[in-house]
Amino acid sequence: MDKMMDLWLASGIYNLQAGQLVMLVVGLGLLYLAIVKKFEPLLLVPIGFGGILANIPEAGLAFSAVENALHFAQPEVLDALSAALGISSSDPEVILKAYNTSNASTHAAVSLAAMDGGYSNGMLYNFYNVSIASGAAPLIIFMGVGAMTDFGPLLANPKTLFLGAAAQFGIFATVLGAVGLSTLGIMDFSIQDAAAIGIIGGADGPTAIYVASILSPHLLGAIAVAAYSYMALVPLIQPPIMRALTTEAERKITMVQLRQISKTEKILFPIMLLLLVALLLPDAAPLLGMFCFGNLLRECSVVDRLSDTAQNALINIVTIFLGLSVGSKLSADKFLDLTTLGILVLGIIAFCIGTAMGVLMAKLLNKIEGGNSINPLIGSAGVSAVPMAARVSNKLGLEANPQNFLLMHAMGPNVAGVIGSAVAAGVMIKFVG
Amino acid sequence: MESLISQGLSLMVFGMGFVFVFLTLLVGMTTLMSKLVVKFEPVAVAVPKKLKPRVTKTIDSNNDELVAVISAAVHKYRS
Repeated sequence: MDKMMDLWLASGIYNLQAGQLVMLVVGLGLLYLAIVKKFEPLLLVPIGFGGILANIPEAGLAFSAVENALHFAQPEVLDALSAALGISSSDPEVILKAYNTSNASTHAAVSLAAMDGGYSNGMLYNFYNVSIASGAAPLIIFMGVGAMTDFGPLLANPKTLFLGAAAQFGIFATVLGAVGLSTLGIMDFSIQDAAAIGIIGGADGPTAIYVASILSPHLLGAIAVAAYSYMALVPLIQPPIMRALTTEAERKITMVQLRQISKTEKILFPIMLLLLVALLLPDAAPLLGMFCFGNLLRECSVVDRLSDTAQNALINIVTIFLGLSVGSKLSADKFLDLTTLGILVLGIIAFCIGTAMGVLMAKLLNKIEGGNSINPLIGSAGVSAVPMAARVSNKLGLEANPQNFLLMHAMGPNVAGVIGSAVAAGVMIKFVG
Repeated sequence: MESLISQGLSLMVFGMGFVFVFLTLLVGMTTLMSKLVVKFEPVAVAVPKKLKPRVTKTIDSNNDELVAVISAAVHKYRS
């Protein structure tokens, strides 16, 4: 009978907390969106499943050895932990607070003490450390994106880089919005948090995760989920804004065929971009460096095997671990609070402002060029979200004029948006990191 | 709290300004690079040259094969 009792006390049902139950439902909801609604399934399936794994009661998959030790709270282990921290109290909450504010060497000592007590890091916690905390996964994905990107349309019409720049306004406007919310006392965001939330408006998953992991790791789960969900919602969010800001006549503008780009130009471009980054903004060097490297692998055409691996096998492997690690941040105590709601709202505002500014900038360029050469619809593609945003521009162009194919023209601002948001990320890391 | 707003404002002004400066420079350099490449590339384009060595190479390898076959035959005949 005692054994039965032990089994019951160790079971998931007995230990399930209300927050965990809610998060399990959230995880299942993400899986539903990914599998049935096909919202960014490549990421939301691992993220949703990771979220479910992270909330299994008592398993502690998303927690470090110390957090697991504190959860089970055996007196002798707690004493060992407080001794390692150099404090007298053995209250788990006091220990956790001291642990979170301690420096790196104490940190290591405390986690070794927890491991001596027989506790270990959870599986997802290890994944998170290796792939996201180290910065590796977003950067490797960025290399893969570089290897998939064709800069041809951008090189044929370099002016479209301005559209990619204008769309980044959404990022900075949202930073202001987040800071405003804290000033009004509604939410409590630091300037770092605000910067990390704003980057959702860059509509670029790896950039958002990279910036969040550096500036405010505790918001990473919500930011990544918001970024990827909104990217999936691009075809719903953007069209109303684009229609509202353009006239029928502007949507009908047909653009001239792009010129052919020589191979030399395509090889020189990533090298030139890298030099510019190196000279002006070394803080963006990790992101844009990997991006340029991936692109050079593609264009130099002497290392096709590496290019192929970067854009297929490697990016897939990394995506699996990235998704599970992001899912590990969906544990109830970190995700279920008001700030998550604030992040979701601010994120969508960032997206809308970015889209609007891209379109307005395209209208301005069109005016300067004489009023009949740039279709303002391609401006919205300046928020990255490659290639979804470009497809949306194409679709709206076809609605206005069935002979008007904007896809290639919209790819220019689209990849410019990737460069723009990486530059914006570098600036943020430089100023508030 | 006032300082948080001003931090946000300065981040916006500097950030947006920097993004524009950076991409403007990139537009300038890209245009310049394209002009230079278009100007100088016709000299570098030489398709027939690339074909010639390949032709001689196949002949060379044929010759090698021929030599190998003949010498093998000679060896067999002599032994």
